[in-house]
Amino acid sequence: MKNQFVVNVIHRPEMVPEYAEKVTGHGKEENISRKALLTESLDIFKTQQSIAHKNGIKTTIQMTYASLFNDEAVELAKAHHEQYGDEIALTLLGLPCKEFREKYKTKDFCIWMFSMEDKKEIVRDVFEKFYERFGFYPESTGSYYMDADLTNFIKQEYPSVKCAVATCWEEGPKAYHTCNNSWYTLFDGGPWAPWIPSKQNTHAPAANEAEDSGIVAIPHLSRDLIACYDGNGSNFGTHPQNVLRGMIYDSKTWEYPYLYNLIDQYRNLARFNNGYSYNMMFVGPGWMNKMGRWEAPYELLLKSYEDGMAYYGKLKKEGKLIDMTMAEFADYYREKKSYTEPECALWDDILYGSDKELFWYTDPFLRACVNMDQGGAIVDLRPYAAKLDWKVGIGTPHVQDASYPFLIQEKYRAGYFTHYAGEGTIRSAKVIHNGEEVDLALCRTKAHFSEEMIDGKKNRILTLDATDIEFADLTCTIQTKVYFEEGTGRIKHERRVLNMSDKNAEVTLNEYMVACYGTTEYSEDMTSVKLTVSGSDTRTIDYAYKCREDSLDNATSVYAVVPPIETKVSLSVEAEEGKAFTGYIKEGYAFSPMFTLGYTTTLKESEVFATWLSLEKAN
Amino acid sequence: MAQLGKGKLNYRCPSCFMRDLDIDMFYDKEKKEFCCIRCQYRGSEKDVLEKNEMVRFRYGAMLKRFDFGLEDMEWTNDPAVEK
Repeated sequence: MKNQFVVNVIHRPEMVPEYAEKVTGHGKEENISRKALLTESLDIFKTQQSIAHKNGIKTTIQMTYASLFNDEAVELAKAHHEQYGDEIALTLLGLPCKEFREKYKTKDFCIWMFSMEDKKEIVRDVFEKFYERFGFYPESTGSYYMDADLTNFIKQEYPSVKCAVATCWEEGPKAYHTCNNSWYTLFDGGPWAPWIPSKQNTHAPAANEAEDSGIVAIPHLSRDLIACYDGNGSNFGTHPQNVLRGMIYDSKTWEYPYLYNLIDQYRNLARFNNGYSYNMMFVGPGWMNKMGRWEAPYELLLKSYEDGMAYYGKLKKEGKLIDMTMAEFADYYREKKSYTEPECALWDDILYGSDKELFWYTDPFLRACVNMDQGGAIVDLRPYAAKLDWKVGIGTPHVQDASYPFLIQEKYRAGYFTHYAGEGTIRSAKVIHNGEEVDLALCRTKAHFSEEMIDGKKNRILTLDATDIEFADLTCTIQTKVYFEEGTGRIKHERRVLNMSDKNAEVTLNEYMVACYGTTEYSEDMTSVKLTVSGSDTRTIDYAYKCREDSLDNATSVYAVVPPIETKVSLSVEAEEGKAFTGYIKEGYAFSPMFTLGYTTTLKESEVFATWLSLEKAN
Repeated sequence: MAQLGKGKLNYRCPSCFMRDLDIDMFYDKEKKEFCCIRCQYRGSEKDVLEKNEMVRFRYGAMLKRFDFGLEDMEWTNDPAVEK
């Protein structure tokens, strides 16, 4: 099978770019209908279009509400559709303009934050205005985030819509902090690559036709899957000016190989996704401001966009890139992908020189991140199996917070390392011998990706390079394999002892998962959580921060039910007949508001022990 | 002392940048220095530019070009889906 690298380039005539009024208008009274601002905005749009076309790349023109009042913008869109095959689409970004403010009497501009009543009114207003100007309804739309109720409403009212920009990967508390706690785009926990959102929750992909929202969603930018998870997302994406924002360029030569590395690493993802890879570039006009953007002068802003587009153009000329409009991509995607086929990304550090490697996996039942630099530990876990009905906007419990909740998030909830007390969220294992204990999270390694049918189910498998565990009187070599079973919400960790320096030695293996729930760094109320160990007996701990523990020999499963996120998470064992093991549950306490599920067993050379992590919806 | 304004470019505070904070600085035209209103940094344009070089220390592979073995992969520009 030949590989395909599909690219969407999107431009929007924003008229009042989000950043421009604040930056260029400093020291002046706010006036979003300043003529200079409108003229410059349209000029930037024209420049962007010209650069794309010069490089043979077709675009999707996402008309903003403001631009629908501008005859020149409308005529340009029509002309470019005719001449270059660009798609004329409609974005729900760029709402601010004189007409919008006068009509809705608000400065809110993020569609997902409005009340449902307002969302409906605005959608009808914007879509009908679009129809009035173009004589048809759009096939593509989008915003930084599209909540499920909004998408369902749009699809119901305007069934022509089949593609939408629906989230921006890991734009959450980290972006909020980077913007001095003033940029309220809180929507961590979604896919990084296109997906079909479920009707219940935008982040969680649909598992079947009944759950299908009817659109193909694409992310707002293709982000660096290591850098964005750790740092400010807005520095590390296929957005040339984001790369400048991160100061990831040589200030003397104005070179930025990182931008090309990022595009190329996305191309490389074809290896893990049946020959398909995807990339998108979507630069709002505010980023090509004539005044410059932060310390980058206009000339550098322009150069970076020209260079980025020229690289796409070069790949296209070499037959290595397929440019599509959003609507074309939606058709392609539906033909290419099945509902349960996961999106996989074995991702290497291309910026810091650390040699770190992560594996990201998304399907309709879960999103997980496995960290090879931590011995194959799961460091992020989102239980999509719950398909949470998480309403967003004014009048709901979540006015701004649109993130899909996590069970594990190593950056917000510590991960392996904590300060002197307590535990952080992680799914890992400890190896114990003669009073010494080593966590596999301290074993740095690399993985190899493969696919295999096992018991009639397709598995994506990570085979990690074996690592040595050195004790005072024993060296033990262990290999980890991680299996993602398609369509079931299950992940298996298999540990095999390849070698022991003392052939008669035995080690204890403690497979564990420390978890909680939340969307931010701060702890939620854990008192509704129930922990159960089940087997010959069934015993439950109702979470009350009392630091209690329980265990059961040969337990068939240990599990936690987390009502606020309607999730049941469990561990169970896959071992040879007669193998002895013990399942356990641990409650946390106020200073460590987590819970732990785990199994212990003993292992000798050549022995193997596997544990399954399963996610289910708990009503 | 008059109020702070904007400099010729919209420099961010290099000290805050190093803790993942994007904060615009404001300019004191009398002292010819940029000031951060969040932290205690203040400095001339020259100093800001020097510190901006310093903040790049974390990008150890910033100027390295990776190849990912992409040349060994076979590509097509045909959008037809092979099953």
